[in-house]
Amino acid sequence: MDVLHKILVAPFIDMAAAPDFLMQVLWEGLVSGVLYALIALGFVLIYKSSRIFNFAQGIMVVFAALTLVGLHEKGVPALLAVPLTLVVMFVLAVAIERVVLRPLVNQPDVILFMATIGITLFLIGFGEMIFGGENKVMITEQLMIPTGAYTFEPFGGFLLIEQKDLTAVVGAGILVLVLLVFLNRSKMGRAIRALGDDHQAALSVGISLSTIWVLVWFIAGIIALATGIVWGARAGVSFALEVIAFKALPVLMLGGLESVTGAIVGGLAIGVLEKLFEIYWGQPLMGGNTETWFAFVFALIILLFRPQGLFGEKIIERV
Amino acid sequence: MNQPSIQADIQAGVRADDGIEKGGLLLQVDNISLSFGGVKAISNISFDVKKGEIRAIIGPNGAGKTSMLNVINGFYHPQEGKITFRGKERISMRPHEAVGQGIARTFQNVALFKGMSTLDNIMTGRSELMKKNMFWQMLWHGPALSEEVEHRTRVEDIIDFLEIQHIRRTPVGNLPYGLQKRVELGRALAMEPSLLLLDEPMAGMNLEEKEDMSRFIIEVNQQFGTTIALIEHDMGVVMDLSDRIVVLDYGKKIADGAPEEVRNNQDVIDAYLGVPH
Repeated sequence: MDVLHKILVAPFIDMAAAPDFLMQVLWEGLVSGVLYALIALGFVLIYKSSRIFNFAQGIMVVFAALTLVGLHEKGVPALLAVPLTLVVMFVLAVAIERVVLRPLVNQPDVILFMATIGITLFLIGFGEMIFGGENKVMITEQLMIPTGAYTFEPFGGFLLIEQKDLTAVVGAGILVLVLLVFLNRSKMGRAIRALGDDHQAALSVGISLSTIWVLVWFIAGIIALATGIVWGARAGVSFALEVIAFKALPVLMLGGLESVTGAIVGGLAIGVLEKLFEIYWGQPLMGGNTETWFAFVFALIILLFRPQGLFGEKIIERV
Repeated sequence: MNQPSIQADIQAGVRADDGIEKGGLLLQVDNISLSFGGVKAISNISFDVKKGEIRAIIGPNGAGKTSMLNVINGFYHPQEGKITFRGKERISMRPHEAVGQGIARTFQNVALFKGMSTLDNIMTGRSELMKKNMFWQMLWHGPALSEEVEHRTRVEDIIDFLEIQHIRRTPVGNLPYGLQKRVELGRALAMEPSLLLLDEPMAGMNLEEKEDMSRFIIEVNQQFGTTIALIEHDMGVVMDLSDRIVVLDYGKKIADGAPEEVRNNQDVIDAYLGVPH
């Protein structure tokens, strides 16, 4: 009974006892969740349009952030460095399409997946060669991202919201909104979905494979830059950032690989839930550090009931 | 069914204003040869398609019929020969360029976007015709909105025409085969092509479905004036539908002419029935 009490009752008593702390936990979870959602979104876009699981999404985040900081170190003003970085990401998208994807058209998906591992390794080496391997500091202030904090006193307690986190949440929200409208309302969005379904048919209605691929890789690059700025502002810019890509895997398992909504909802849900679990169950009961595995276990449990993920496309094949 | 208005609508938008009179030369294929490694799929084939006709390409399995269609719409690039479409000569082109010139096609094994609805599938056929820029598309406002509405109207007309209103919102992966073929035809029609390529439009259909499909093909040809080149194995259908027939065997052309001529051609009979060597 004691164990059950600790698992099922005590955490909720703690939550009710200190609602201000609960709010703080929820906010921190939400901020991580926004980042997971952004990364997952990069995966989803590329998967939707080409059925390629893009292993390189994580390194693209690092590469974008490094380019931004690197350009600034070379004396480029911060606000000019952002569009320049976007240009670099565009060139990268074109290069990937030309050199890697186009020659591998019609190869099995797993070959393309391995090719993206190749892209990852290349970008690690290339990035180190140009920008060096040492850690860098994100140019938060130069980008005019506020660094102060708001404090509130809900329920007579204390709640701290950092301005850069707030900026991240709002910025990511706007980015996602623009992206959603673009995907759902434009013929390009329809083309992206069509291409993922059937290459040959898409070609026959006049959808250009190369244009759409460059477009989605470029959008993934924009998302990578946004993620890089936000994450870099919290944790610094280093190649270690690459592992946050793995944080997106349970989000994809949960949200479904094809669903933009799934990536967003999944990302936010996992961000918030893993934080809640860590604070109220992990630390008191298991000695903490549950954030590394909680998301995977949670996603696996969901998959038991919905194998296509929460929002994945369920295609019934007639045989 | 409001066919007169569909007719007017679609004809107005048809890129049939290609300046070619009915009966004039629309497509000319000259000495095309195509091989994959050492395998010759097509050798030295020439034929033409005239504006407004239904042209059948027939032949036993492996004769190179589908390869020929793939050459015409840019999937394959022939090693030799040239293609003249609407007076423009080209050796090879990318598929979306062929679409831009007004070539639409359907596939032997249905190639639809299975996760998307009938409506969305047919809408993709309008991709090349929707020209408003991305900026307006993102805002979903102004010119892009009226454009989308206009294209939706056309697509609804096509859906009416093909009598598939009841499955507008159904993901096409869930539809029976015959209906999928019809949706695929709808997507090709949405492109308002001057040349429509149909690869075995009646494969795997029962008699009733074949009759429906034949009726649609004839109506498309007669009402909209669309030129059609089709591959089909059902000889009854081919003889009834087509104005002229080209017969391929082992990548070579063995006959070309009106159904009557082809039916009585000894080479054709040999190719189909086999001949003792």
